[in-house]
Amino acid sequence: MTTTAERQMELTLPMVPDIEIAAARAVGNLAREMGMSTERVDEMMHAVIEACINAREHSGCADNRIYLRFLGTSQGDGSRVDIWVTDHGRGFDPEEARSRRQTPGTPHKRGRGLQLIELHMDEVDISTTKNGGTTVHMVKYEKKS
Amino acid sequence: MTEELKVAVERKPHGAVLYTKGYINNVGGEEIANRAYELMDDGVRTLLLNLRETKIVNSIGISILIEIIEKMMDQGGKIAFCCLTPVIHKTFQIMGLANYASIFDSEEAAAKELGL
Repeated sequence: MTTTAERQMELTLPMVPDIEIAAARAVGNLAREMGMSTERVDEMMHAVIEACINAREHSGCADNRIYLRFLGTSQGDGSRVDIWVTDHGRGFDPEEARSRRQTPGTPHKRGRGLQLIELHMDEVDISTTKNGGTTVHMVKYEKKS
Repeated sequence: MTEELKVAVERKPHGAVLYTKGYINNVGGEEIANRAYELMDDGVRTLLLNLRETKIVNSIGISILIEIIEKMMDQGGKIAFCCLTPVIHKTFQIMGLANYASIFDSEEAAAKELGL
């Protein structure tokens, strides 16, 4: 199967209020250029927003920056968008975070960001080390109809 | 960079409708809460949130919406939502909000069911 990189973007954003909207708009534009449906673009934008909020609220990083990379590729049977959201903060334990998670559908006021990311995206992989930062890699697919 | 949420209120004979426009984050959620609590203090017990012009919510904003629902339920009232995008609808279900507030496709359907 032929895979062609069609769109790539890298952003470094300051951790200021609402900066997640800039990240979401950027990936939304890239995904629309890849021909993705509105619903899948919206899901991706919501996932990026939650990843950026987690970085801003919980990373405790000294440089106050979020590093984003978006890669859109076309494949024979559709397209995919890869998203990396990185911070240089304290890291966290994803399993511990998941263990605090409630069952989907039960009301819970905080701590649902990671769950929303995992339910909105097709693949999610988290690389994190204590005081070594965190990278959330997310993938969204769109098959040709 | 700021994304200010605008909230408009329309009083109805038997309740009120809140119209939101923009991003529901922590600040937007607080703005909705302030308007909702003013209405509750004024005796409103049926509240419909029309999110037709809101395309993005975050988990912090939703947590504030859950607080509004809980406060209204404590007072014996009810809150419903209408005109959600498919992704916001899905997000509300994940967050558990859909268990405590009805969700309608249109304002007309909501108003009829709620008796606004």
